[in-house]
Amino acid sequence: MSRMKLNLGPQHPSTHGVLRLILDVDGEKILGCEQVIGYLHRGMEKMAEGMTYLQYLPTVDRIDYLSGFFNSYAYVTAVEKLLKLTIPERASIIRVLLMELNRIASHLLWLGTYLLDLGAVSPFFYTFRERELILNYFEKISGQRMMYNYFVFGGVRHDIEYVNEIMPIVKTIVEKLDDYEKLLTDNPIFISRTKNTGVLDREEALAYSITGPNLRASNSHLDFRSQSEIYKKFEFKIAKAEAGDCFARYKVRLEEIRESSKIIYQAVDILLSSGGEYNTGLNPVNLNIEAGEAFADVETPRGLTTCCIKSDGSGTPYRVKWRTGSFYAVQILPKLLTGNMISDIMAIYGSLDVMLPEVDR
Amino acid sequence: MIKFLKSIKALLEGMFTVFKHLFKKSVTLQYPEELPNLPERFRGGHTLKGCIGCGICQQVCPCNAITIKKSGGKVTSYTINMRKCMFCGNCQYYCPVGAIKLGTDFELATDSNKELLNELIETNESEADKE
Repeated sequence: MSRMKLNLGPQHPSTHGVLRLILDVDGEKILGCEQVIGYLHRGMEKMAEGMTYLQYLPTVDRIDYLSGFFNSYAYVTAVEKLLKLTIPERASIIRVLLMELNRIASHLLWLGTYLLDLGAVSPFFYTFRERELILNYFEKISGQRMMYNYFVFGGVRHDIEYVNEIMPIVKTIVEKLDDYEKLLTDNPIFISRTKNTGVLDREEALAYSITGPNLRASNSHLDFRSQSEIYKKFEFKIAKAEAGDCFARYKVRLEEIRESSKIIYQAVDILLSSGGEYNTGLNPVNLNIEAGEAFADVETPRGLTTCCIKSDGSGTPYRVKWRTGSFYAVQILPKLLTGNMISDIMAIYGSLDVMLPEVDR
Repeated sequence: MIKFLKSIKALLEGMFTVFKHLFKKSVTLQYPEELPNLPERFRGGHTLKGCIGCGICQQVCPCNAITIKKSGGKVTSYTINMRKCMFCGNCQYYCPVGAIKLGTDFELATDSNKELLNELIETNESEADKE
């Protein structure tokens, strides 16, 4: 018996951020695990209390820097609810289009880095090459690759441009997905490392408030997009798998890229065939927000993100509360890791797609 | 046995997929020699022209990076603290006269603290002189 405590992180290349795991190991076997979060805490919620509504808007992209549009969307929608503002039809379609592109970019990054954690290097380069196409497009329309600051209260900042370029980008990515599947789905090394490891069943996932692809890989169909107003015009299937292991989570995410591409095709068709306003033309410099509370939710690549704002009638928010999907994915780690080997840690942890800046905020 | 052959086939297919990429064109950019082709809206170093000193950019800046000094209705100093600036572009979007712009200059590294306090009114005047 060689029972000992093993410290993993906070500076570990595979945690994609700074997460510390205190492992209780017996040889190679994990008996327990305690997760320490907070190394990336920037006080995003407290920060809002000293800023105006408009000043806080560019900073919300940094909560989850791989899917900035989603955070912007949650915050902007909550403020719009406080202002009792209805946004133009075209603006909401532009928002859906950009968010789905962002979802594809985020899943591609997850795929590349997950395989890098498992020891496969070449898929990392391929997924980043394809992700670059999307990021270059975002740079063209918003000015930056990851910190967009593109959604504003009442619509989007500029009318969408270069719409014709989106279709070829998404087509290439969907074609390349088959390439990745050739590399991975039948690969015996990948299968033996991911199948039947980190099995999360549906009841447990629901009890731990897991959302997003992690939950849908455990035989659940909960997708907040299907209940959302802005997604009502679009037809898409909810990606789902039954096994609940790492391989199922991989399958769900690949399937989600395909489903997102379908939404993008529909959105591009609508945008090309119709015109209209993209912004209500509200000047947000001196917002007159009444006292009250507003709540907005959005299905991000990592689960449900909600933003709750309480206003006291002054120029700054009284309180802003964020709920992010990754925070709950970290909480389930001890349950999933216990009983597995040390070499399985990264296979399980990576498959949950945890984004540390989103955990600590 | 069939399972073994199948896995060998999958591995060979994977290797072939990787091998195909050997003959494709490189997608990376040799940065210091080749410069990236930046879009028009890129948010880089600031330029200022025709500031009226209304102070809206100060109001909307999330990092309080902008300091404006005025005397007698004329802007005498317009400083952006580049250590604080996060290039969100709010100052550009909400400027009523389109005076401040974020350009495509992204090589902003410097070794002196003074240069990070970007004094923009000088560029404004020198450009006005040229015209």
